[in-house]
Amino acid sequence: MKWRCTTSVERTRLVLWLALVGLIVFIPQRAHAYAGPGAGFAVLSSFWTLFVAFLYSVYAFFVWPFRQLFRVLRRRKAYGKAQIKRAVILGFDGMDPELTERFIAEGRLPNLAKLREQGTFRKLRTTFPAISPVAWSTFLTGVNPGKHNIYDFLARDLSNYLPYLSSAEIKGPKRSLKIGKYTVPLGGPRIKGMRRGTPFWHWLGEAGIFCSVIRVPVTFPPEKFPGVLLSGMCVPDLKGSQGTFCLCTTRASGDKFREGGVRVPIERVGSIFRSYVPGPEDPLTPGSGDELRVNFEIHPAKDQARFIVDSQRFTLKVGEYSEWIPVKFKAGVGFSAHGICRFYLKELSPEVEVYVTPVNIDPGRPDLPISHPVTYSIYLAKLFGPYATLGLAEDTWALNEHVLDDDAFLAQCYANHDDRERMLFDALEKTQQGLCACVFDTTDRVQHMFWRYLDEDHPAARDVPRDQRPTVIQDLYVRMDELIGRVMKQIDDRTLLMIVSDHGFKSFARCVNLNAWLHQNGYLALKPGKTESGDWFDDVDWSRTRAYTMGLNGLYLNVKGREREGIVEPGGDADGLKDELRRKLDGLVDSASGRVGITGVFDCDAVYAGPYVDNAPDLIVGYGDGFRASWDSVMGKVTSEIFEDNLKAWSGDHCIDPRLVPGVLFCNRKIADEKPAIVDVAPTVLKLFGLALPRYLDGKPWSVGTSVAPSVAPATTP
Amino acid sequence: MDSLGVNVPAFIVVGISIVVGLLMVVVFRYTSDQRAIHVAKDHLKAHLLALRLFQDQIPVVLRSYGRILLATGRYLRLAFMPLLFVIVPLTFLIVQLDRYLGMTPIEAGHSFLVSARVADAAALTEASLQLPDGLVTTAPAVHISAENEIVWRVISARDGDYVVNVQASAQTFSKRVVVGSGLPRLSPLRLRGRFRERFFHSAEPALPENTLIEAIAVQYPARNIAFAGFEWNWIWLFFVLSLVAGFLFKSILGIEI
Repeated sequence: MKWRCTTSVERTRLVLWLALVGLIVFIPQRAHAYAGPGAGFAVLSSFWTLFVAFLYSVYAFFVWPFRQLFRVLRRRKAYGKAQIKRAVILGFDGMDPELTERFIAEGRLPNLAKLREQGTFRKLRTTFPAISPVAWSTFLTGVNPGKHNIYDFLARDLSNYLPYLSSAEIKGPKRSLKIGKYTVPLGGPRIKGMRRGTPFWHWLGEAGIFCSVIRVPVTFPPEKFPGVLLSGMCVPDLKGSQGTFCLCTTRASGDKFREGGVRVPIERVGSIFRSYVPGPEDPLTPGSGDELRVNFEIHPAKDQARFIVDSQRFTLKVGEYSEWIPVKFKAGVGFSAHGICRFYLKELSPEVEVYVTPVNIDPGRPDLPISHPVTYSIYLAKLFGPYATLGLAEDTWALNEHVLDDDAFLAQCYANHDDRERMLFDALEKTQQGLCACVFDTTDRVQHMFWRYLDEDHPAARDVPRDQRPTVIQDLYVRMDELIGRVMKQIDDRTLLMIVSDHGFKSFARCVNLNAWLHQNGYLALKPGKTESGDWFDDVDWSRTRAYTMGLNGLYLNVKGREREGIVEPGGDADGLKDELRRKLDGLVDSASGRVGITGVFDCDAVYAGPYVDNAPDLIVGYGDGFRASWDSVMGKVTSEIFEDNLKAWSGDHCIDPRLVPGVLFCNRKIADEKPAIVDVAPTVLKLFGLALPRYLDGKPWSVGTSVAPSVAPATTP
Repeated sequence: MDSLGVNVPAFIVVGISIVVGLLMVVVFRYTSDQRAIHVAKDHLKAHLLALRLFQDQIPVVLRSYGRILLATGRYLRLAFMPLLFVIVPLTFLIVQLDRYLGMTPIEAGHSFLVSARVADAAALTEASLQLPDGLVTTAPAVHISAENEIVWRVISARDGDYVVNVQASAQTFSKRVVVGSGLPRLSPLRLRGRFRERFFHSAEPALPENTLIEAIAVQYPARNIAFAGFEWNWIWLFFVLSLVAGFLFKSILGIEI
């Protein structure tokens, strides 16, 4: 008889002994296997991870030469004629050239100052109109709006004069099964991108140049191309809206929020409070208005409260945000929607109020595609944790409605911004060759909401003494400059660094209700007895209306045969009406301030060219510095006043005369062109990578210096 | 199987596995850094996805592979902490269960081996086996000098709980032998000293120190448990079932493992 391992009994015992030995000598696999399921899972999953990783790496090693060979054979050898190894494009939505110059002159932006000094700084001509989705669509396609079909956030439905989102259309599943009062969807939602044109990274990817594209606006739904992309502006929330926050409150109020939010009651049950987060429509009862909900409890204790949301438990102090909390909206067996949201405890006494962000699509379990490939959003979520996926992630509506205060809004903005920075630096690391493009929205949102403190006499901040006004926008620019400095440390001489913004910024102190002007001047008629309309032209008499406006800058004629109840004959009559409106509106003066409210009205037939011009407004209205379309006018409402003060926190804007709000262009190389435009970015990058330019592009490539100034290195903040 | 045809060992293993699975994940929950484990697992997944997303870029693939190794190490380190809390009681439990489930008693009418190891090969000739009524040797003793071992082949005509004695140099050392069926507590070895081996292998008092006999062994057959169409060693069945139970309970209780 052997005394070691002779029988299976002996082997079993040896295993037991090895379990302990393994523990002692820090080779825990065997020990784990016999220390219960927890450790067993750990060992098994670790082994599996390593095994899969090994397979992938072997696969990548062996396949890579063949892929390269394949490229060469198809004459797609990347970088063959490239002047640069890598292009890094940082988009700062709304970064204003005048403010930038001012802060540079004050010595607050050392990195941008260095780029200006040793590379290039220019004002970047924007699009007509100067609206982010329009300008960024032009940026990424290199064509004018007549070719990419985006003219505003909203477009109008010719059959009913109602708006719809211009960038994407989301419909229910193609097929469904009706069972009694329930409708069982057979398949996922259908998403159709409305933006036309081809993003320039598509051409780069096809040529074998890797691209990482992060949060560039109007990239939802994500299009396939050889690279990675995370969609930006225009990604909806889980309700399908562009962001609907929720205020849970014990305060009784029948008021509805004008924009972007819902009020939900909190019920007191003994010592605890109960409420819910409203979610998407119940897919089993479409059209019924039934919504899915996630219930939560609040257990208050002094100045803090414990929250229970599904199986999640967390504690918040008053004035504190939670992390992103995953929420699962269930609709019967097998149907659920996964979202994430953050809770903000506004008040605990005497009333209880909790703000909940719009429910974002969970990037780790996306129910709608928000990246290409789909795994890219999951990859980022696993690497950095959950992050905001909503296109307009910074909740400007909540600040406008006084649901959030300045500090809470800023905290939200910069939390999102920090996530974006992490994504950028990961993309920089992963893209040592190719294109890395990332757009930051913080600049736009913060300027929109805090311009009132910058303006001498903004109506929304008249009660705040000048010496007590926070330097939010100045701080914002300093922070962006620091970010640019950190990026400059990551790049080498063969990397092109370009900093662009889609437009600048101006004060929005006075509102212009163009529908009111059209009404008062006989172009728009209301039903008998009405002096004002409701939203979306409720009470407008279309049979006597020749022109109307909705959205931010578009003015439409009510053309016969085009609009459902059009009365203006196309051709000569329409052209004559356009001329008449241009003549009367151009130079329109605000009698209260004595300033010009409209500095230009542009005929779309003259400023656009392309197959989608028919979808454009008939005229683009260019508001003057300090003016913008009124909140009511944007929503198709006719009021009695044409001009009025803007009292909202949303106090800066750019949806004005595009000539007044150019963007910025900084580059670490010399650019000879004196008047660059945002439409030129795409052809310039394609040319720098040595690619032939598609003929349909409207932009012209710039003359870019062949080498970077050696001293363009990051500066330190004074 | 018992008289009613019930597979008692399988039921015991299933029951214990479920209880242990539940207890272990609960212990894991309260003794581990759940958040850190969640992050470590997410990082592992992220680096795995990076291999696929950036597969054309060999430097990225290499870096990701390195990070996978690091993240795996971090994950195992985090899972190691709960192990410290459960390893002693669980090892004790498994060892005790193994006394009942690891082996079957010797069947009546079947021969088995009794062996003794002596301290000095010269003492082999002095060793003899004294059997109680019911047990008889079926062959002469075999001396294995190279291993200081002497082996007897023994057979029992009927079930019973016996004590056999090994005599050497006027000293007698006993060893329990169980013949029969069911789930008695079995001890295949009786040892001198060596606490570690006794802990795992023996259920009897230690042999006296400074005597000729170092160990007495009885070769019990290994127990195979019929379950799900396979014959299992109980510990593998326990391992698999406790994993399954743990997986179910971790999902139900929302515990990160």
